[in-house]
Amino acid sequence: MTTAADVAGEAARSRRRRRERLGKIGRHAILLAWTAFIAFPIFWMVSTSFKDAGEWVAWPPHWLPHEPTLHNYAQIFAFGALDPTLSRQATEQAFTIWKGLGDALLVCTAASLLGLLLGTFLAYAISRFNVGGKYFRHTILMIRMIPPIVVAISILIYYAIIIPYATSALFGVRISLFDTYVGLILIYTVTTLPFVIWMMLTFIDEVPYTLEHAARLMGAGRLQVLRRVVLPLVASGMVVTFLFVFILNWAEFLLALTLTHPEVTTLTVLLNKFQSAAEGRLYGPQAAIGTVVTVPVVIMGLLIQKHLVKGFSFGTIRK
Amino acid sequence: MAEVTSNAIRAAASPRRGAGRRFARWLASERVFPLIPFVVVEALFVLTILIPFALTIWISLLRWRANRPFETATFAGLDNYQGVLASDQFWLALARTFYFSGVAVALELVIGFLLAMLVSRCTRSRKLYTTIFLVPMMIVPIVVGYNFSMIYIDSGPLNQLLAPLLGMFGIDPRIRWLSHPVAAQWAIILADVWQWTSLTFLIFLSGFAALPRQLINAARVMGASAWQTFWRVELPLLKPAIVIAVIIRSMEALKLFDPVVLLTFGGPGTSTQTVAYFLWEQVWVFNKFSYGAAASIILLFIFSFLIFFGIYMLISQRRAVEGGAQ
Repeated sequence: MTTAADVAGEAARSRRRRRERLGKIGRHAILLAWTAFIAFPIFWMVSTSFKDAGEWVAWPPHWLPHEPTLHNYAQIFAFGALDPTLSRQATEQAFTIWKGLGDALLVCTAASLLGLLLGTFLAYAISRFNVGGKYFRHTILMIRMIPPIVVAISILIYYAIIIPYATSALFGVRISLFDTYVGLILIYTVTTLPFVIWMMLTFIDEVPYTLEHAARLMGAGRLQVLRRVVLPLVASGMVVTFLFVFILNWAEFLLALTLTHPEVTTLTVLLNKFQSAAEGRLYGPQAAIGTVVTVPVVIMGLLIQKHLVKGFSFGTIRK
Repeated sequence: MAEVTSNAIRAAASPRRGAGRRFARWLASERVFPLIPFVVVEALFVLTILIPFALTIWISLLRWRANRPFETATFAGLDNYQGVLASDQFWLALARTFYFSGVAVALELVIGFLLAMLVSRCTRSRKLYTTIFLVPMMIVPIVVGYNFSMIYIDSGPLNQLLAPLLGMFGIDPRIRWLSHPVAAQWAIILADVWQWTSLTFLIFLSGFAALPRQLINAARVMGASAWQTFWRVELPLLKPAIVIAVIIRSMEALKLFDPVVLLTFGGPGTSTQTVAYFLWEQVWVFNKFSYGAAASIILLFIFSFLIFFGIYMLISQRRAVEGGAQ
């Protein structure tokens, strides 16, 4: 027998179920809309990278290339003299990506490794011996918060004017760090050190001190303890930190733009060169370079996904 | 015991090696060992940040342009500082920077919060959405700038999407968005929102994940509506995450530079010039080194208050988060 209360309850339940389903649909609609918003610029870049010159700025725009071509990739990856049919514009040498790719790989790898080495060592000292006082961890954040343009101008003056001036006055040799690998590696190392220290601190803090203590008692030297006990335990953390710092260096633009001009060219600077190309914008090759620049870092980023927020928020967020 | 004697014998046999060993032991001592990395890193900071900075102060007191030899520089006192402080362009660029970062960060916070709330309610698709929403953060900012410059061009997809709407009013749909001051400003804000909402989203998502379930359930059992639970229970618990997101994003947004170069070069006119772009242009385009140096010192002075405030807030919020978790 169904009473009025049962009927009312049934109605309320079905109403709630319907509301839940509506809520679910609404939720996914919003999330999918944001997904589309995120995906669109990336899609457009990849699509443009396969378009031929006539399609770059066609009206109405072509969402997918009507005649897909690997032309743009052939252009940026060309070796030596270009096939004249490939290069429609005058600045042929600016097309190839090799110089930018090589320089970016060299500078980012060297700077990230150097930063990792110094940062890990210092993080160990901070974690175990409280070097630099209680608030050293936090004061080191200041380096990150200073706007890079402020640093960039001082470094530019230092590298390009003061160091050559001083060395020629003191030693009679003009040494300039402006537009050199060493100069750029040095400044990248310094600007990413806070990140290395912060990320490595969270990993090293988790290693129990008793292990090291035991090793010390058994007669291991300090460096041996570091090499045999601590480093193997934080090895995965070091890989994560390296990748994170590599991504940061890879994406850096302002310092590279300011501190290098014709000689050292990282990928970000190379991409910008196309923007100011005299013959008008070279959308296709630019899109191809953009795709080449993006793919490796997105893969790296997805590998260390879990730790990304730790790095970007300086460990202020617990995951 | 035997080892000690053998050590002593070896030390006596070769005094130089003994000294080396003593030095090694001194280096490994409790007092000295931790200082080694500290001194190295601090030396690096002094060499690459502090000395250049001190030199910048000195240069800012000179009258000198980079296209002339350094020997021709003359002492100018505070002229450069006066010049910067009296320049409308500098103050406008600073105001614009605050305006851009204010609008962009507000949008990022609201959208990031909403997305995190919705994603945290998902069960099966949560991981997928998180992975997708994370991607913009990893893309090189300059590539983001390029992507958006592609979308805004007069024959770009944005205009195509708007064409039916504009056609109704008889407007030619091929609008050059980046040539219009206000539209160009919004273009830069949109690029920033596109890229950095992923960070606020992630911060809030971990905030939502850390919410104590029992507390919320208890509130529901005691008859609080969903709305009340959200305002009275969840939001106060999320406060540390919100504060951290605000600080981190604001500090970063004030550095805005890359999309400006890629999208507008500070134009049309100076309508999208941020303070970072203004400084870069003074030094690189106009060669006004000492003027740029003075401007960067002033800027650092203005920002240092924000930096100290930011770090203070980060320390106190971190304590709150750790205290809450224990």
